[in-house]
Amino acid sequence: QLPGAAAMGTGTPPSPSGTAFEETRLHVFTLDYPHVQIPFEITLWILLASLAKIGFHLYHKLPSIVPESCLLILVGLLLGGIIFGAEEKSPPVMNSDVFFLYLLPPIVLDAGYFMPTRLFFENFGTIFWYAVVGTLWNAIGIGISLYGICQISAFGLTDITLLQNLLFGSLISAVDPVAVLAVFENIHVNEQLYILVFGESLLNDAITVVLYNLFKSFCQMRTIKVIDIFAGIANFFIVGIGGVLIGILLGFVAAFTTRFTHKIRVIEPLFVFLYSYLSYITAEMFHLSGIMAITACAMTMNKYVEENVSQKSYTTIKYFMKMLSSVSETLIFIFMGVSTVGKNHEWNWAFVSFTLLFCLIWRALGVFVLTQIINVFRTIPLTFKDQFIIAYGGLRGAICFSLVFLLPPAVFPRKKLFITAVIVVIFFTVFIQGITIRPLVEFLDVKRSNKKQPAVSEEIYNRFFDHVKTGIEDVCGHWGHNFWRDKFKKFDNKYLRRLLIRENQPKSSIVSLYKKLEIKHAIEMAESGMISKVPSSVSLSDYHEGKIKPLSPTEMENMREILTKNLYQIRHRTMSYNRHSLAADASEKQAKEILIRRRHSLRESLRKTNSLSRDRPVLAFCGGFL
Amino acid sequence: RGVPGAFPAPGTSLLSLAVTSEQIEHLHRRFKQLSQDQLTIRKENFDSIPDLEFNPIRGKIVHAFFDKRNLRQGSDGLADEINFEDFLTIMSYFRPIEMNMDEEQLDRFRKEKLKFLFHMYDSDHDGKITLQEYRNVVEELLSGNPHLEKESARSIADGAMMEAASICVGQMGPDQVYEGITFEDFLKMWQGIDIETKMHVRFLNVDTIAHCY
Repeated sequence: QLPGAAAMGTGTPPSPSGTAFEETRLHVFTLDYPHVQIPFEITLWILLASLAKIGFHLYHKLPSIVPESCLLILVGLLLGGIIFGAEEKSPPVMNSDVFFLYLLPPIVLDAGYFMPTRLFFENFGTIFWYAVVGTLWNAIGIGISLYGICQISAFGLTDITLLQNLLFGSLISAVDPVAVLAVFENIHVNEQLYILVFGESLLNDAITVVLYNLFKSFCQMRTIKVIDIFAGIANFFIVGIGGVLIGILLGFVAAFTTRFTHKIRVIEPLFVFLYSYLSYITAEMFHLSGIMAITACAMTMNKYVEENVSQKSYTTIKYFMKMLSSVSETLIFIFMGVSTVGKNHEWNWAFVSFTLLFCLIWRALGVFVLTQIINVFRTIPLTFKDQFIIAYGGLRGAICFSLVFLLPPAVFPRKKLFITAVIVVIFFTVFIQGITIRPLVEFLDVKRSNKKQPAVSEEIYNRFFDHVKTGIEDVCGHWGHNFWRDKFKKFDNKYLRRLLIRENQPKSSIVSLYKKLEIKHAIEMAESGMISKVPSSVSLSDYHEGKIKPLSPTEMENMREILTKNLYQIRHRTMSYNRHSLAADASEKQAKEILIRRRHSLRESLRKTNSLSRDRPVLAFCGGFL
Repeated sequence: RGVPGAFPAPGTSLLSLAVTSEQIEHLHRRFKQLSQDQLTIRKENFDSIPDLEFNPIRGKIVHAFFDKRNLRQGSDGLADEINFEDFLTIMSYFRPIEMNMDEEQLDRFRKEKLKFLFHMYDSDHDGKITLQEYRNVVEELLSGNPHLEKESARSIADGAMMEAASICVGQMGPDQVYEGITFEDFLKMWQGIDIETKMHVRFLNVDTIAHCY
């Protein structure tokens, strides 16, 4: 019986079911919390997270000094403290399942979808090298050195075996993509550094999964044979490659599906999310690397889906993805804070401090040694500054946090010790390294990224340059990166695009960028009414030695009149609302109209310039353009 | 001249130094392939490279090899044939940067590379990229695309020129005319782009030599 009905007093009183029982009077007002508990709490948590985010940005200097992740953990700690104080028991610890199945995928999806693929593949060798060998180095190094420490009986740690230490090493050595994103987002280092650290954090998931499962099984097995070690190595390849294959396969299926969605534009974005999530959980089902699957899926999907979906769907996908990942990230950090408070800890000075020390030392050593080796193969060697930032940017985060909670306590009697150590390391990397990385980057004068708007001329230069480089490579008979990229492009154009894209016209990136920019400018022009800067055929009707005269006020007036008569109203209400279809985007059509007019007028003006007997046409402007 | 392993006269430019002897060997073998064991190469020899066919700006690339400005011969115009020394000179524009270069060297390095690109745009050798030359470049770039109308290529080139003008000259008065992109303007436009690290070819891998017919 709904409490609402009871409150309105319209419901009939409950009829007795035969046996006599205490008759309850009609309730005017009821509170039925258990009924809505779960969705209610989830909503409250998300609301809290979002309100906290608003709160941080109220003081505008705060996010630039302290990364949001730190603030969120602090909020979590506060909350955890309140809950602990109120209920005298450990607050709800972040369920590892919730983390891995619901909170992590949106973040990785967002990262994978907007990954600069070209830069990623150019640096793929280095990224892979750091991710695989680096993580192995860290895991084994930390594991063995901690084991050495455990042997010292003064610390009271002798019951921790080598395998347990190795397992601990493997789960704490993983660089965390969430933390890296959260911190690097604000400091804007140059794209190459960013892609190296971030790419490493994504790819090392394969190794982490393998090592974690490997050592966990070893801890539970009685004897370990050589065959098991080989099985472990084979497992790595299966986990990594299998994850990527699942991702790519589902990415193609998604692209293919969007080929046919032009009649149901409203649910187009859904396919993107569904297929990518499917790739993640399918990979998790087979104990493959879910992160690599979803990244591969997003990267594959991106190219083709972008061309099939409408502009509106594309915007929706973009914003929804960002929203989901933002909420997930916030929740993760808050939960980390909340879960820290409680009775899950066992403090041991030696273990905790040496863990932290070894994490830092092995990371620094690892990056240094590995870079010396990889620099031989790179054309642009990584400098000391780069290496420092890469080492310093190796932040740990929620993944190792969740992994440590997943340890079976039967096999790990000292689990609480591990939890404490992991928390200390995470807090150190997120707080200390997170806060100090920005001043360090400025102090070391690391090259920053220049986020200026892509210009058409830049795209032209880049394309031109690519062709020059490919040409020179062909002339000197050398197959470089460009060769493989060219080959892939040819294959792509011949087969993949035909299959996966609906209206396939061989597109040039120059043309698409140009069109995008033009539409944007046309919209801006129409909205801001900057009519006076448009050269139209009206103004160019009289010529003076091939130069274009400045506009007289009457001419300006003429132009303004013509344009206001012909410009549509950009904003108009949709008259009827139909859940299953949206009216075609009016502003898009209008923008195209403006675009056509402008181009036409430009063509007119330049045609007239050309028809004069001057060998070189010149462009003159009335006012600045663009 | 034409002796394998000979360096161009030192002191002409930084780029002429430090191409290792292994790389010179490799390039010399390639030169012999292209020239069919002659001492010089002519334009026709470039036709024998199969992959170059598909390059939309093939003409400009080949032209660049014979451009006297790139060959540092002081004079202007096109050479008819080039020898191995000239071939090396052109290749040296694509040398990767060294770790031990200082600021000034890097700057000169960058300017040299950009000058090479500038000469490719400026086909009539007058030191300016005019609207027509720019249009030419864009049309060639998009020539691989049969569906694209010539009009689009021209409007794109015009749009790009306008951008260039706004970057280089800023707000233009109504009577001003923008003649063309000079080398200084060209430098300004490439300021954001990391040309030193991108404009290089890896000479290391000697095994993957493609053969021409």
